[in-house]
Amino acid sequence: MTSVLPTIRVNVLFFGRVRELAGVREEPQEIPVDATLADLFASYVKRFPKLAEFRGSLVASRNQEFAAWDTQLMPGDEIAFLPPVSGG
Amino acid sequence: MPETPISDRLELVKSPIDFDGLVRFVRAEKDGAIVTFDGFVRNESHGRATEYLEYEAYEAMAVTKIQEIAAYLHDKFAIHRVAIVHRLGRLEIGETSVFIAISAAHRAAAFDACRHAIDTLKKTVPIWKKEYFADGAVWADGELPPAPRSSKSAS
Repeated sequence: MTSVLPTIRVNVLFFGRVRELAGVREEPQEIPVDATLADLFASYVKRFPKLAEFRGSLVASRNQEFAAWDTQLMPGDEIAFLPPVSGG
Repeated sequence: MPETPISDRLELVKSPIDFDGLVRFVRAEKDGAIVTFDGFVRNESHGRATEYLEYEAYEAMAVTKIQEIAAYLHDKFAIHRVAIVHRLGRLEIGETSVFIAISAAHRAAAFDACRHAIDTLKKTVPIWKKEYFADGAVWADGELPPAPRSSKSAS
């Protein structure tokens, strides 16, 4: 038996230029139990290296509230990486 | 007595905004003033001729953030009713993208609240616009909403 690190599942949403870059609107993600928003974003940078350029101009949200990058994620969380907003 | 925000009209819509209807909605006999803001699509951006715009939103969060704006207005300004409606999808030149109407007994509170509403919306509500030109398209420059710097200081 190999030991498997416990994981949790979160739902990740993308909008605007980040959605175009990732090519996905919404997807479930398995992440380690102790993962933070920054860890989750880093996993996306591995998949989509160009995302690294956006790190400084994005804000993260957890369950529809703006959240700090060191926020630890919980099972079922709804996460989004939001570019600068331009409504109005 | 301030009324509960339940009497407000706070919406995202995908068809043309009925701004006359919104003005009628916020208007009541106890009021003496209504201030409105009509944001509509300009025909140029940074000197380039715009063909049309496309708006998208994180809809559930955007509605929540608009509700937070309305709650703040009721808390801080002596106003009566608030209507904040933002349109999504493709908008042509001259079409209204956002309409705000605020009623109050006296004009000063309505002016102040309306100004606060549009300024805050543009900073905190997760809506994005893409500008289409004859030779391409760009996501409009926007504002990065303020977020907590650390989860440790918050609850």
